[in-house]
Amino acid sequence: MKNTSLILAAAAAIAFASPVAVAQTEPADMAQMDTTMLTVNVKGMVCDFCARAVTKVFRKNDAVENVHVDLDNGEIHVGLKPGASLTDDEVESLVKKSGYAMVSVEREVS
Amino acid sequence: MKIGYAAILVAATTVLEANVADARPVSYPGGTTVMQKNNGFYSSIHAHYSPTFQDSIGLYSERNWAEDWHFTGLQYNRLVKRWNEKGSQANLYFKGGIGQADAFGEGGVDFASFAGVAADWETRRWFTSYEARAYDLGFDQTVRHAARIGVAPYIGDFGDLHTWLMLQVENQPESETPTTLTPLVRFFYDVQLVEIGYTPETERFMANWIVRF
Repeated sequence: MKNTSLILAAAAAIAFASPVAVAQTEPADMAQMDTTMLTVNVKGMVCDFCARAVTKVFRKNDAVENVHVDLDNGEIHVGLKPGASLTDDEVESLVKKSGYAMVSVEREVS
Repeated sequence: MKIGYAAILVAATTVLEANVADARPVSYPGGTTVMQKNNGFYSSIHAHYSPTFQDSIGLYSERNWAEDWHFTGLQYNRLVKRWNEKGSQANLYFKGGIGQADAFGEGGVDFASFAGVAADWETRRWFTSYEARAYDLGFDQTVRHAARIGVAPYIGDFGDLHTWLMLQVENQPESETPTTLTPLVRFFYDVQLVEIGYTPETERFMANWIVRF
């Protein structure tokens, strides 16, 4: 009975300790992950409603951290979450879903 | 006091019910839009939801004092074609609606429908649009055309207050003043768009409002 109690106590200690250990290592792992910034050149984006549509659609994607629209240059600047990625096809699909046409996409990894 | 509340109600109805012949009738996927217009002769309100950037469906109500009828029903809008170019965008839309209409309570309520086409072309400096809409009200048939040209006096970036100076010509053959010319100013900020204009021929003000969220 005493052994059973010790085993249970040890199991509980391990179970409660594990999340703390993960929580301590997670930020370090995240910090080591690459962050990608996309510059997407788009045709047809001429007004605030257009920019808002693009922003709404991109923000719904799990990989996207932040979105900024530059109407002057017809560009969407997309910051991805650490370690996340979007292929060119996925970016083009999001642009099309917003109602516009993608010209090109450039990537900057930091 | 009762008269005061009634006046407020009538004024609110006038402002909220409106017909928009020139705003984009579709939004982004999941977007909801409420648009209203009033020019003194007819008013309407249209609230719609866009499941895709090419479609929207919603409720439409129009009260037309120039021709003495009221329509209420469902409206579907379809972006038939969009031309995305560097620095410009052009669109062709189909609009259709079914519902009921009455001649302000006279002669009962009839099944009614309408169909229309709309087109626009826009850069960050220039704007043009055209819409034609035909109604079958059961007890009457009518058609209406509207066209606009606009210029932005300055170019704002995303999030700025945008201002447009516009001129609208509208033709409603069966009204007392079939063709009207309305200079107007459009303010566009965040999710809201407001238009204020004046029609000299009819001495009526125009007041439109759109919110998209």
